[in-house]
Amino acid sequence: MIQLNRRNFLKGCSAAIAGMAGAKIGLTAFGNVDNEPNQRIIIPIFLRGACDVLSVVTPMYGDDRAHYETARPDLRIPVSDLIALDSQFGLHPSATALHDIFQDNKLSFILGTGMHSDTRSHFDAMAYMEGGTPNRKGLGGWLTRYLRSATNINDDAIVTNMTTSSSRPRSLSGTFNTLAGSNLQNFNIRNDLHWQYRDQHQSLLQNLYALDDSFLHQAGQEAFEQISYISNNYDSNYTAAGGVTYPNNSFSSQLETIAQIIKLQIGLKVAAVDLGGWDTHDGQANGSDPSSGYFANLLTTLSEGIGAFFADLSAESTNYADRVTIVVMSEFGRRVRENAERGTDHGHGSMMMLIGGQVQGGIKGIWPGLHNDQLYDAADLAVKVDYRQVLSEILIRRMEAPKIGTIFPNYEGYTPLNLVQGVDLEPDYTAEFKSFLPQLQK
Amino acid sequence: MSQSTSSDLILSRRSFLQAASVTAISAAAISTQTEASPEATTVTENPLQEEPINPDFNLASAVTNTEASVATIVLNRMGFGPRPGDREAFNALGANDEARIAAYVEQQLNPDPAQDTEVAQRFIEAGFQTLDKTMNQLWRDHYRNDPGGDWTWTTLPIRETERATFIRAIYSKWQLQEVMADFWHNHFNVNGWESPQRHFFVQYDRDVIRQHLFGNFRDMLEAVAKSPVMLYYLDNESNTRSGPNENWARELFEIHGLGALNYYGVQSQSGLPSHEDNSNVPVGYVDGDVYEATRCFTGWTVSNSTSRGDTGEFMYIDDNHDRFQKSVLAFGAINFPADQGPMVDGLQVLDLIANHPGTAYYMCRKICKRLVNDEPSQTLINSAAAIFQQHVNSPDQIKRVLRHILNSAEFRTGLGNKIKRPFEATVSAMRLGQGDWLFGLDDDTSRFFTNYNRMGQQLFTWPAPDGYPDDKEAWSSSTPMIMRWRMYNYLTAETDENGAYRMPVFESSSAIGSTAPKDVLDYWISQILDRAFTDDEYYLLISFVAQPGNSPTQELPLLLDEEYHRRLRSLVSLLFQTPYFNMR
Repeated sequence: MIQLNRRNFLKGCSAAIAGMAGAKIGLTAFGNVDNEPNQRIIIPIFLRGACDVLSVVTPMYGDDRAHYETARPDLRIPVSDLIALDSQFGLHPSATALHDIFQDNKLSFILGTGMHSDTRSHFDAMAYMEGGTPNRKGLGGWLTRYLRSATNINDDAIVTNMTTSSSRPRSLSGTFNTLAGSNLQNFNIRNDLHWQYRDQHQSLLQNLYALDDSFLHQAGQEAFEQISYISNNYDSNYTAAGGVTYPNNSFSSQLETIAQIIKLQIGLKVAAVDLGGWDTHDGQANGSDPSSGYFANLLTTLSEGIGAFFADLSAESTNYADRVTIVVMSEFGRRVRENAERGTDHGHGSMMMLIGGQVQGGIKGIWPGLHNDQLYDAADLAVKVDYRQVLSEILIRRMEAPKIGTIFPNYEGYTPLNLVQGVDLEPDYTAEFKSFLPQLQK
Repeated sequence: MSQSTSSDLILSRRSFLQAASVTAISAAAISTQTEASPEATTVTENPLQEEPINPDFNLASAVTNTEASVATIVLNRMGFGPRPGDREAFNALGANDEARIAAYVEQQLNPDPAQDTEVAQRFIEAGFQTLDKTMNQLWRDHYRNDPGGDWTWTTLPIRETERATFIRAIYSKWQLQEVMADFWHNHFNVNGWESPQRHFFVQYDRDVIRQHLFGNFRDMLEAVAKSPVMLYYLDNESNTRSGPNENWARELFEIHGLGALNYYGVQSQSGLPSHEDNSNVPVGYVDGDVYEATRCFTGWTVSNSTSRGDTGEFMYIDDNHDRFQKSVLAFGAINFPADQGPMVDGLQVLDLIANHPGTAYYMCRKICKRLVNDEPSQTLINSAAAIFQQHVNSPDQIKRVLRHILNSAEFRTGLGNKIKRPFEATVSAMRLGQGDWLFGLDDDTSRFFTNYNRMGQQLFTWPAPDGYPDDKEAWSSSTPMIMRWRMYNYLTAETDENGAYRMPVFESSSAIGSTAPKDVLDYWISQILDRAFTDDEYYLLISFVAQPGNSPTQELPLLLDEEYHRRLRSLVSLLFQTPYFNMR
């Protein structure tokens, strides 16, 4: 009986998967690792709970400073504590590691970003935002649609997407091959088993799958290729480059795992990370010193983790920092006026941060202003930049994925904000499949 | 798939051993990567590296049929695989395959809940609290009442539904009912973990899916359309004449009814030709039909505010309904006059969809694909669709369609063109291995779900309205394959609070009455796979069960007791992990 090779079979079977085959671009996964131009990686870091961005980048001078001080009598961060970013804004004193990257011109703060939706529900906002479908849920995640529609993913990629968060982010909802978990120690079948037979068991199964070539046999053979590769290359005692030491917390160790997988060169395109705890309705800062306390500690975690990660990637002879684009985002912002509990309630407009070797550093976006007339619903930061515009630019210029109509259904009129380096491919606004699921159309 | 027999071996044993030693070496390389546990030094040598072959191992499997038996096929497609004894019970039902299947189908199509004593007992032991609550009770107790933001209380309805679904699939004797509950949950998919539907998902599982799973398709559509769970999931709850929301109407055509195959895109309603089976209706639907149907369902909502009574139940609000004339599936002609009265417009849309021949073909193709294989023949689809249409008003329409498909010759032909999804894979292993998991809310079931969910099919969480994919391609990439293999390891290794294995592999093996490797292997092959391995496959397995130094045909020395238990668990897990067990 003649059997098709399974990969060819897959190409023949499904139009969308056939699309993924695309042009052969050499062996990113197994081959020569240096100067691989196509390995580009997007790393969304989602700040769950709605980050108070006004405490990250804060007006230092003028009317906006006055409005800020009026709205935040207890939470205002003194001008003397802020790290000046330009003639208008200052950075929270806990974010020194981010400031270092900013000074290197590889970090941008994109002001006035957000989603045009009037929801103040965390759940709805995250579902809409990570779905890539404002005011609509249920079509899967924008990263899933990116992965499904991408034409430059290598056939031999071992891990194209991963998340280190304990539950799969909605942006990756609907994927099947997401590597979940914060390490690859258990990307095999032997570790579950008793030591006495684990190696025999695994190699026996591998041999069984090698004995025939049915669809399932071939699927099993591919899985064993990946197990072998990971087992031979993944090191649980990873040493970061350039003498970098990651801070001792969960967020940083997640980034450390991602750094290792990036360096393994196994075809990673997406790594989604969560950092929660931003829903600061009370006790956001210390009473005696608004520059310290809960929010400051959380921002330190974010800042130092990214700092170590970026330094680790930058210190290698292959400049991995050039390949990654880190996007820090949150479901919405918080109320401009503080509440009675030294906290802030749910707001609207937010801010995004981009970090990467090909990021154009600086203060970007459109500052929405703090004057009462400028506020959304007379209470919150306004949304001046659709968050999809920022993500679209990363997709087009960095990921070479111009199928905007598929990834962000119904989003149109994209123009670049010149946030990252790259080629302006023509955006394709047609929806390749209605949801992320190509099988549906058959 | 190609099943090699002794006459057409892919590899000679000699060349196979050469290949095997390569992989054995790579396995050795793996082991040096891992922590140097003191035990690791005692790992026994891989028998595959030994040359020459011990002639004692040159044996053939006692199980000789090279394809899965009809009993195995039927029990894996109409159910979640056999439990010990089920194949024998099936084979006793008649003189030949046709008679046995016909008898089994009638049993399964007429389930008597009173006979499901094991499920009833396990529900009591699990201590479920929400499964019998009315919609209004669920709404009040778990949605409106949120004591101190207690997540475990407010999500009790979805979590109990999830656990009850596992208990039923594993332990119910009415297996076809469970297969169809799974089918309809995916066909009318809802993300049950989303708020607010997670607080009252019980209503959907009980009053919509299970109430109608063998019944009438039109009745089921109406139950779906009026369920608060679907009203929230696809936003018809907020569909009004001043603020229309087409989400429900679109999926009603595209996924629930006619299917995307019958979608003709953005074009004029009047431009479509007639359907060849029925000249009174257009061949399919266009966007215009979706927009008009959206207007028909305006005002279908939920009693979800004080002014509406806040019962949580379905409610129709005439003030929110678009009362003017409409055209749906009628070549642009007005077939909905203005002011038809409460709900009439929406009910009429359901009639049109349920009666459209496109729906019959789409639904029958989908059911065949679920029950038979990934590429069912057009002949079977057409004959099933004829029954679907002929009995479109019968209360047992779905039952008749199922009876036809299940008694077809195509239904009982070989496995291989479909793989078990993670839910079927897990449940079928638990049935064969007689696993005993409690699925209560506060026991170690959480470990079960950690392992299960990694495979990618957490129940009731698929985000899109089309349900989990039903193609083998979707489930065969590496991460789900590896996580599936790991699930079998977990199932054979999990212990309860007293240290007893939840899958009693050792206890079951004592029924063999022998510890001779060949007897043990033949027993488990017959239990789990009921089909022969090739000589090469058999050699690998018998070498593992015996281990070096032991004869495959003589009792293993008793001093190996602990090792023997481990070996048995590995063997059972290995047989679950083979390609053959994962075919459907």
